[in-house]
Amino acid sequence: MPKQRLLLLFFIIISLSLMTYQSNRHHLLPLKSLDHVLNGFHEIKNSLKDSITAPFKRMLLREEENSKLKAEISRLLREQQSYRETLLENNKLRELLSLKDREHGYFASARVIARDTDQWSNTLILDKGSADGITKDMTVLTDKGLAGKITEVEHSYSYLLLLSDINFSAAARVQDTRAEGVISGTGFRKCQLKYVSSEEEVKKGAVIITSGLDSLFPPGIPIGYISKVNKKDIGIFQDIEVTPFVNNNKIEYVALIKKEQ
Amino acid sequence: MIYLLWAAIIFCTLIIQGSISLFDITPNLTAVLACYAGVRGKEIKGMFLGALIGIVEDSLSGAFLGPNLLSKGLIGYLSSFVYSRFFVWTPLLGMISISVLTFIDGFIVFMSRSLFDKMPVGIGTAVFIIAMQSIANAPLGILLRPKNIQ
Repeated sequence: MPKQRLLLLFFIIISLSLMTYQSNRHHLLPLKSLDHVLNGFHEIKNSLKDSITAPFKRMLLREEENSKLKAEISRLLREQQSYRETLLENNKLRELLSLKDREHGYFASARVIARDTDQWSNTLILDKGSADGITKDMTVLTDKGLAGKITEVEHSYSYLLLLSDINFSAAARVQDTRAEGVISGTGFRKCQLKYVSSEEEVKKGAVIITSGLDSLFPPGIPIGYISKVNKKDIGIFQDIEVTPFVNNNKIEYVALIKKEQ
Repeated sequence: MIYLLWAAIIFCTLIIQGSISLFDITPNLTAVLACYAGVRGKEIKGMFLGALIGIVEDSLSGAFLGPNLLSKGLIGYLSSFVYSRFFVWTPLLGMISISVLTFIDGFIVFMSRSLFDKMPVGIGTAVFIIAMQSIANAPLGILLRPKNIQ
């Protein structure tokens, strides 16, 4: 038998004997004291590892905290936006309530639910209709002034023809000079005050109100102010441009006034 | 000097082995070291270094002396024996042999403990642990080339 195999056999026998010897007695651990050394190394290794990983761990924690805070800020901003919207709505409703106290013929308030699909007409759709007692030709106001009139009524909604529509017209007068005319829409933002005699003294900035002579709109409702007066090349009547107080794009709630009998 | 270097390497291996785990299984890096000792030296030197690794590991494990002494000594011998008598080293053979030797090492340790002390884990778990250790050690087989292969 070669020397190596003999040594191997001897090694195996020694190992097995050693284990057999220990199986019923206390364990032999000749290098147990190395345990302390190894544990010392483990401690050094752990402290080294900690000193390397600690900044990264802190960075990760900050990153996590940062993303949490960002999410919180985003939530708070959304909440704040919602509160602001509620506040604005509250103000608008408060203004409508004050309008209710001010206008004698107040009938109901309505909410604008849509704009007419036809982009050439200045019409809004209101959330109240014949079921709520809305009738054709009712005057429509906002807290700023005249918005238009009801032109068509369905069961649960109605159409508001805005002041700026080309088909709109109402008897009006200049508040300070009492000069009378007819206010008409131009199809865009501005309106036109027609049939004001050229002899009348009309100033830029003067307020236009309804006169009530058409028996359709109650008198004294603010319409707008004169933004331009053209006195050149005029005939019998003046060419007066009126800017309405009501901004069509910002109408959300309106008040409906019924005709006084 | 060479034995001091070996002692330092054994120490470092034990520190690394005690620090990492894969699926809660500690890798058997000392088996790789024993294989390396066998592959680089002759059978007797491999067996002697393997036994040294085993005796240190047994002492540090707190269990009784013998299982690792026997297993590491045996695989130190076998790794040298395999390449000097049967195979010419290739990376693939290196991977396969280290896996098989790790499996043998694990098996001997498990059997020794079960026979002379008490069964450390169930047989199924032991097989799983030994298999995982063998698979984890396989890539290291590429690095363990014998001295005469360049």
